[in-house]
Amino acid sequence: MSQPSSNSFKFFPLGGGNEVGRSCHILQYKGKTIMLDAGVHPAHQGMASLPFYDDFDLETVDILLISHFHLDHAASLPYVMQRTPFKGRVFMTHPTKAIYRWLLRDFVRVTSIGTDPASAEESLYTDEDLVESFDKIETIDYHSTIEVNGIKFTAFHAGHVLGAAMFQIEIAGLKVLFTGDYSREMDRHLNSAEVPPQSSDVLIVESTFGTATHEPRLHREKKLTQLIHSTVGKGGRVLMPVFALGRAQELMLVLDEYWQNHAEELGNGQVPIYYASDLARKCMSVYQTYVNMMNDDIRKKFRNSQSNPFIFKNIAYLKNLDDFEDFGPSVMLASPGMLQSGLSRDLLERWCPEEKNLVLITGYSVEGTMAKYIILEPDTIPSVNNPEVSVPRRCQVEEISFAAHVDFQENLEFIEQIHASNIILVHGESNPMGRLKSALLSNFSSLKGTENEVHVYNPRNSIEVLIEFKGVKIAKAIGN
Amino acid sequence: MSSTIFYRFKSQKTPSRILFDGTGLTVFDLKREIILNNKLGDGSDFQLKLYSLDTGDEIDEDQVVIPRSSSVVVKRSPAFKPNNGSILSGGGMNNNSGNNTVLNATRYVTGKPRVFAHTKKKQ
Ligand SMILES: [Zn+2]
Ligand SMILES: [Zn+2]
Repeated sequence: MSQPSSNSFKFFPLGGGNEVGRSCHILQYKGKTIMLDAGVHPAHQGMASLPFYDDFDLETVDILLISHFHLDHAASLPYVMQRTPFKGRVFMTHPTKAIYRWLLRDFVRVTSIGTDPASAEESLYTDEDLVESFDKIETIDYHSTIEVNGIKFTAFHAGHVLGAAMFQIEIAGLKVLFTGDYSREMDRHLNSAEVPPQSSDVLIVESTFGTATHEPRLHREKKLTQLIHSTVGKGGRVLMPVFALGRAQELMLVLDEYWQNHAEELGNGQVPIYYASDLARKCMSVYQTYVNMMNDDIRKKFRNSQSNPFIFKNIAYLKNLDDFEDFGPSVMLASPGMLQSGLSRDLLERWCPEEKNLVLITGYSVEGTMAKYIILEPDTIPSVNNPEVSVPRRCQVEEISFAAHVDFQENLEFIEQIHASNIILVHGESNPMGRLKSALLSNFSSLKGTENEVHVYNPRNSIEVLIEFKGVKIAKAIGN
Repeated sequence: MSSTIFYRFKSQKTPSRILFDGTGLTVFDLKREIILNNKLGDGSDFQLKLYSLDTGDEIDEDQVVIPRSSSVVVKRSPAFKPNNGSILSGGGMNNNSGNNTVLNATRYVTGKPRVFAHTKKKQ
């Protein structure tokens, strides 16, 4: 790896380069080193799920900023803090930290169950690692700026999930914006992402949906509720694989309201909605605590009713499938969201042979996972506990995205407002990312050859991007 | 009697070990054991490199024997596909047409050593 010259900015993706999963990027400028995110890849397990940490000396990192609590952005943090020579300071928002604690405890438990006795060695970290790392994590408020060793950074709302942040980082006058996962459409509980008041020189932006276009939220909600209603109306079961926290709460707000407004047609309680997640139940207090970080709508509801809008009238929590009486139509939200193993996978295998049932995918499905595979409507799927057995798939499979990532138009409008002349694409599979790159280049083609020419990079993991900055930045640096 | 080779992933603080019978393991077998022990997968999306703990030099010939009780450093890196290579070549892809070799670790998992490793083309 080359040593950056004094004016060159270096971007080095350890994960999330031409892939969705294991988000982790290194920035270097003027001798400072910043790490963004420390995720895992949902299609892999254990060591194989980690970013390519061996390719960078983690001991040199000054600060690590975590954008949000999703596993593909945060789940290898205890590993970095406890098992590697990393000694930098770690920052995240308050709600991210509050949820992170519960979430990773669950992650440790889930990943160390069902393997052989050596499993303690195989899981990436232990409960003790988690506790020790948790105490060292520092928090940052939205719109506040922290300075560490000549690196300034400010957190902005990113939409997406509770606590999600964008970070604008400033080193010697050079400004870099990292979006993390972000959404530009206000939903039932979150605001859309903000545009930071100051422009940035480098923009690191997610490209999950590439050049795709989303339908408006209300259309998607209507489609979702109609599909679910017609399925249970025919006596079918609906399985919605979800990640325990984040988008699941949004879906529950939609379903709870619909069930409330259509109580009679739904047989007044004859069709139950379950959420099989003890974790989500435990985190309801976090959602209550941070209502003030959500949008006006939900805050008003909270004020008016004096009750937690995330305590649902029509949704019951299930600890596990032992207490579940599977006699008739029902709607079940269950983790994990990618159907890799566990509760959602067990239900999938139980319900997918029947035509009248429905599997409804609402999240972004990562390449290599069962969620991605089931969308192809295969005739059979392998049983997770017994790979010799294949289970026939006759149920309906539908996909309606509530993933809360920007679509092309939203991304483009945001990118234009940042005014960065260097755009680095991350968090996208190769093809959508490549299409986004071409679309951006053609959008900014009129600037080609001018001093404002826009450069777009889409590096693979462990391939560095070097950008030279001269003149202005140095003058600014002296001013500081 | 059981023998040991210690290995440490470059990013880790503490070493792990491979237990085996005999006086040493070939690089091929050692890499295979490390991949299997850590459940790193089928090898298609990463490369695994071994380095001498003393000199820091890469030990890349499959047939070289690592004696028991020695220590090595291991590096897991992304698989390398020359045709999708560096973005530094002015936005366009590195076009070494004709060279479609993907550098990854599949052969350690499928169990087929690279017999003529030393005849590998020089870059
Ligand atoms: Zn996310
Ligand atoms: Zn993500």
